[in-house]
This record gives sequence, C-alpha cells and structure tokens, in this order.
Amino acid sequence: MLEAIKLTKYFGGLAAVNELNLIVNQNEILGLIGPNGAGKTTFFNVVSGFFPPTSGRVLFEGRDISQLEAHDIAHRGISRTFQASTLFMKLSVLDNVFTGYHMSYRTGFLKRVLHTPLARKEEEGFKQKALETLKFMGMASLKDELAANLPHGYQRTLGIAMALATNPKLLLLDEPATGMNLNEKKAVIDLIRRIRDMGITIILVEHDMKVVMDLCDRIIVLNFGQKIAEGLPEEIKSNREVVEAYLGKEESKNAA
Amino acid sequence: MLSRKFIYIILVIVILALLPLVVRNPYYIHLFIMVGINAILAMTFILMLRTGLICLGIAAFWGIGAYASAMLSMKLGLPVWLSLPAAAVITAIIAAFIGAFLVKQGGFGFIIQTLAFGFIIVLIFGTFQVFGGYVGIVGISHPEPIPIPFVGSMTFTSISKMPFYYLMLFLALLMVLILTAFYSSTAGRAWRAIGLSAHLAESLGMNLFNYRLLAFIIASTIAGLMGSFFAHYFGTLVPGSFGPFKTINVHVYAILGGINFPILGPVIGSLIMTLVPEFLRITEGVEPIFTGIIMILLVLFLPDGLLGLTRLWQRRGKPSENTSHHMN
Amino acid sequence: MSILIQLIVDGLAMGLVYVLLASGFNLIIGISRILFIAYGEFYMLGAWIIWSLMIPLKVPFFFALIAATIAPAILGAIVYQVIFRYIQFKEQQFLTNIVAAMGLMMLMSQATLFIVGTESRGIPSVIRGMVNVGGIRISYEKVMLIGLTLGVIIGLHLLLQRTKIGRAMRAVSFNPDVAALQAVNANLVYLGTMAVGCALAGFAGGVMAPVFAVSPKMGGVTLLIILVVMLGGVGSMPGAILSGLILGQILSFGQYFLESGVAQIIFFAAIAIILYFKPGGLSGQAQQISLQ
Repeated sequence: MLEAIKLTKYFGGLAAVNELNLIVNQNEILGLIGPNGAGKTTFFNVVSGFFPPTSGRVLFEGRDISQLEAHDIAHRGISRTFQASTLFMKLSVLDNVFTGYHMSYRTGFLKRVLHTPLARKEEEGFKQKALETLKFMGMASLKDELAANLPHGYQRTLGIAMALATNPKLLLLDEPATGMNLNEKKAVIDLIRRIRDMGITIILVEHDMKVVMDLCDRIIVLNFGQKIAEGLPEEIKSNREVVEAYLGKEESKNAA
Repeated sequence: MLSRKFIYIILVIVILALLPLVVRNPYYIHLFIMVGINAILAMTFILMLRTGLICLGIAAFWGIGAYASAMLSMKLGLPVWLSLPAAAVITAIIAAFIGAFLVKQGGFGFIIQTLAFGFIIVLIFGTFQVFGGYVGIVGISHPEPIPIPFVGSMTFTSISKMPFYYLMLFLALLMVLILTAFYSSTAGRAWRAIGLSAHLAESLGMNLFNYRLLAFIIASTIAGLMGSFFAHYFGTLVPGSFGPFKTINVHVYAILGGINFPILGPVIGSLIMTLVPEFLRITEGVEPIFTGIIMILLVLFLPDGLLGLTRLWQRRGKPSENTSHHMN
Repeated sequence: MSILIQLIVDGLAMGLVYVLLASGFNLIIGISRILFIAYGEFYMLGAWIIWSLMIPLKVPFFFALIAATIAPAILGAIVYQVIFRYIQFKEQQFLTNIVAAMGLMMLMSQATLFIVGTESRGIPSVIRGMVNVGGIRISYEKVMLIGLTLGVIIGLHLLLQRTKIGRAMRAVSFNPDVAALQAVNANLVYLGTMAVGCALAGFAGGVMAPVFAVSPKMGGVTLLIILVVMLGGVGSMPGAILSGLILGQILSFGQYFLESGVAQIIFFAAIAIILYFKPGGLSGQAQQISLQ
C-alpha cells in the first residue's frame, strides 16, 4: 500500500531519515520503533506531506506522493495524529471531530455559502456522523466539553477520532498511548484493533513495548534514520541489534 | 418561526433605520456614517486575522476602492451607481493578484509586506498626478438620485446626510450578511480551524493558501467597496488619509471590541472610538496620542477586548461537569 | 568622474546609517520577536537630543552624541519593562506586540510634533572643512560619519560574536526555552536587546543630525528600515549590511538623477521583484529569524 524508496531527509547537515526503504501492506498494523531521534516522526512528517524529502520517493497505492503538500495527501487518504496534543483547543469535542469531515462535503462551495437546503442537510448529516464516531470511541458523553479541558488520555483519543473522520485508507498514529495509565492503554489497543477491522491500514509509532508487541502484525526498527531490523514481534524481541540500539542509547546517556 | 435572536436583529435594524430621524444634527449623522464605515473595515481586519493573517495595510484597499470609483466616475464619466460596484470588482482583481503574492510569503512575510504595501499605496497616490498628487481629488460626484416609489426621489447632496446614512446602512447590512454567510459555512469553519491550528487543519485536508487567499480577497473587496462609498460621500480624497494611521485606527476598533467577535466587536469598538473623542472634545492634534495610549492600555489590560469581558463572566458561571480523569 | 565618486561616498555615508538602523531593528525582531514599528521614533529622538544639547546648551558634539545614544536606550528599556514585558509570554504575542509598538509610535510621533513644532532645524557643522582625496573633495563631516558608523557596526559584531552577552542573545533568538535551561534569563536578554537596539537608533540619529537636517517627521524612516530588513532577510545581519549599503547607493544616485518620489518607488519596485524570486531576501532567510 505504502512504499518508501531510498527516502532521505536532511535537516541542515544531519540526515534524520537516511536512504530508508520501507513497505507497508494493506490492512496490517505496522509498528515503527526505535530510540529517540531515530527518525520515526520525521518519517511521518515526510509521508504526510509536511516536509518534502531531500531525495528518494514515497509511493502510495502505486502513485508517487513525494512532492505533494499535506492537504493533498490528506485528500489521497492518508491521515495522522500528532505527538503533542494537537487539537482545536477552543472548540468543543464535537466540533473538533466535526471539522474532520471537512474533506467529505459533496455539495459545491457556492451552495454551501448560500446555505441551500441541500448543503444544510449535508452539514446535519456530518454532525450526526461526528456524534457516531464519538460513540464508537466511547466519548459521546463528552461531546460539548472544550477540548482544552479534557484529561490527557481523552485528548489523545480525540486526535484519533479526528483522523478517523477523514475516512482514511492509511492512518499514521504517533505515540497514541503516551501518558496513559493501564486501563486507558487497554482501551486504546482495543480501539486500534477496531479501526483495523474497518479495513484501515495503520502505522504505529510507539515507545511502550507491550502495546507494540500486542498490536502489531509486523515491526520495523529504525536507528539513525535507517532500518536496522524488520520482522514479526517475536523475532524483533530477541534481535540482538535492536537490543543494542536501545541499550547503546542508554550507555551513551550514562557516559555524557 | 421567529427565534429570539431574529427578533433582536430586526429590532436593531429598525433602531438604526430610525436613528437619523431622531438625531437631526447633520454632524452627528456624519459621525454615525463614519462609525458604520469604520466598523466594516474593522470586520475585514478580523476576517483576515481569523485565518492567521495580520494585515497591516487595510487602509490601502480602502483607498484603492475609493480612488477607483472616483476615477471611474470623473475621468470615464460613469454614473456613480455603476462605478460603485465596478470599483469593488477592480479592488477584487487587484486583491487577487497582490494577495496571491502576499499570502504565499507566509505569516511573517505577509505582515511586513502588507505594512510596506500600505505605505507604497499612499506614495503612489501622492506621486502620480493622474491621481491628483498629494493634494488629492476634489469634487467627486455624489450618487445620482434614486426614485423611490410613492415618495419621490432620494437625492444625495452634501447638505442633508440622511440619504448617505441610509445608503451606508444598506451597504453595511449587506456586508454583514455576506460575512455571516461565509462564517457559518464550511469556509468559516475552515478559517477558524486554520487560525486555531494550521498544521492540524492541513492534515485534515484544508488548503491553507486557498482559504487564506479567499479571506484576503473578500476582506479587501469589502474594504474597497466601503472606500468607493466614502469617495462619493466625502467628495474629497487625500492620499494621506489612506495610510498606516488609518490602518492602525482600524486595528484599535477591532481589538477594543474584541477580536473573537467578528461582527459585534468592531461595531462596539468603532462606536466607542468615534464617539468618545467627541465627548472628550479631543482635537485632531491630540487624537493620535489618545489612540496611542488606548492601544497600549488595551494590550496590557484588555487584550480580549470589551466583549471578551463577557466571556470571562460566562466562564465564571459554569463549572465543568466532567470531573473524572480516567476512562472507564 | 568626481561627481560619481561624490555620489558613491554620499551613498556610503547614508548606507552605513541604514545598516546601523537595520541591524538594531534586526536585533529586536530577531531576538525579542517584536516588530518594533516605533523604532524610527528613537532615531528621531537621538537627532533631537543632539540638536537640543548643541544649540541652546552649547554642549560639544561628542558629549551630545553619547547622550543621544544613552537616552533612547534608557527609554527603550523603560518601554520594555513597562509594556512589552507583560506581552512577551502571553498568547497572540506577535499581534499584541505590533499593536503596542504602533500605539507607542503614534504617541511618540505626535508628542514630538507638539513639543518641537513642525519645522526642521539645522545644526551647524561639527567639523568644518573638506579633505581632498585624489582630487575629490569630501567634507570631514562625512568622513567622521562614515568612521563612527563603521566603528559601531564592528563593535556590534564583536559584541554578538565574542562576548557572553552576545552569545546569550543569539541563544535566545534560536530557542528561548533551551536558552532558559542554560540559565539564560530570557527577560533580561529581551530588556538588553531593546536597550541596545534603541541605542543604535539614537546613535544613528545623532550622527546623522549634523549632516542632514533634523525634522519631526524623521520617524518615517521606519518603513525604509523595514524594507531594508526585508531585502536582506529578516534577522540576518550580513543581509542588513548588504541591503543597507544598496539602499544608500540607490538613494544617493536616485536623488541626483530623478525626482525624489520616483527614486523611492523604484527602490520599492526593485525590492518587490527581488522578493518575488527570493522570498527570503538576499540572504535567503525570512522565516528563520535567527542572527547569523
């Protein structure tokens, strides 16, 4: 479904992503792990169109999306969540999700501005859909709450809800379980499984190894912007290079 | 189906319509006309601000509309009722081209370059004799009389301000209608989203450049239309009045009212800033000092504007209902 | 030929002053992120201090110049402490900074008009006489102007690159949060930046005063400075130097050959074209806003 070919992204003199080759298969949950600074978020940023790659290509469903801008990529069917809680803080939970349906409008722009009955009906329809998405996530009771007032765990899932509203084919989840307690993590794992059951392909960046092992069909390990291991969760668990990569970071931290 | 809000609006419109019959003094009617113009200009500033564009050159497009209409009616002999909309169209076209360049520059570049643009327009109007130079254009024709059924015709002279007031009221209400239509549509929601978090909006498929350019064009065209009205009302155009000082004043109207209130805020801000100097008998020389002090005080103590205070009031009244902090 | 050299020297003198002003402006916008629209008023303040010290009070030029540098710096520091300090760390910071700066500009510009009236004043030459360089006569005053401004520019460069204070300033311009971790007091840096920036403006005004007239409208130079800064790339010191010098030359030649208004329009048009092709200005750095 998604393929990165020799993808490279330089920031100044530093290669955050270095000649990365990667394949994501349809409807799988792919885990992307690696120590801090390995290039995972940069990879997300390049794929979702926020940074153009320095060299290399990204193919989505066979077509080159490397030079597309973020909003075009969203239209192609790739959605993402952000690491820091990026929400419309001053809007309500319902409004946040409702905004996610922005791309799905069928009525023409002019008709929408003139508030023709057709346009208004479509708008009502999306408000309903937003409510249903909230119900799917178990957040319906919070619909009128300001996004800024939500506890951290709910903010993360709201981010996922918004990304879902765009009806994506591929969903990039950036550390969805960060800062959650055990119960919340269980709920998120369940949520992600249900999302996959809807037919969506998922790439998951996550630091919590239990979550990764539990959820992912396949795992790719990055370090210094390159792929150092790839395979099934059990294989990765016992892969020496992977362990070293993480330990190596620990050691250099102790030495400094 | 008459909702309460609808009734309030009708009430306000009726009051505004009856105003000149109550307040007979032409000087005060002139003030109210200016309040109307200034309020609309402030609304255009807020429109652009919503999408993250801080425009420091609003007076420039106001001036373009004014000069365009003046030139059309005086040099080309167009009847005023034709030159008014024509000037708006010209402003829109100029706004489209210049806007494309300005918006592309990104947030910061936009700010500086609209500032420069504001200065440059004054320079252009002042330097080239075709625009009348620094002396300006005098004797711009008033709109031709309109026939009103059963009453006779409404003539626009310099003596009675009333017809101009009603024309201004009509234009202002029309602009408010247009703005409201846009704000409550997906475009308005997109603008709001882009202003709150541009990255997030982009990831949801919103084309930042297109929406920002749209806001810019709409705002500039509305400003231009008010400018062309001003030209035929005031009769005289001086380049200096379209410069940064005017833009700064517009900012004050918007911020004093509250930038989170796109329609009501500018009305309140414009009302206060136009009427208060009158009551305090502030002369023309002192006015910039007055405005300057107000700006600094605003920014320090009242950044959300006067209407922002009401929001604070509301928030104090409603405690949050959700007290649990974990998912079930 | 001699006219050509004359024009170039004039352009150099003016250009260096613009470099000073652009550098000060860059400091304030690069480090404190304040689009300081009132900057030109401090330039004017410096010029008026020179005039009011030298003419009625007969203070010698160099002492007056020191006062013209320090007084705006103090005023700038006060303005920062009283106004901008409270805005710096809140939301919508950029807009409120601009509004505050605009308010300040209106205040200062109108207050000046009240105090000194609308007339320009002149200052008699500080150093009389001309120097003869290879057949071309350049007034000592211009030479002094060039020398002083060059000195200050070099001093500024040394301050930023070699001293601890300069490093602190550059650190804050890159990333205020990280700088805070390194025990750099951001507020103090902002305060210092404003003081230094205004000092530069005051000095520029003071140094210009004997050579050109002193007028209450001098605050209008802000626009020109903003354009210079845009041309060079916002926040870029080398860019400011380059574009300041360019402006100096364009104005010098333009005023000689063309009507004054037309010269300015040509400058603006040139900037617009250059920026169209190179949005970051000559140094290619509009969005970064870092002092390099």
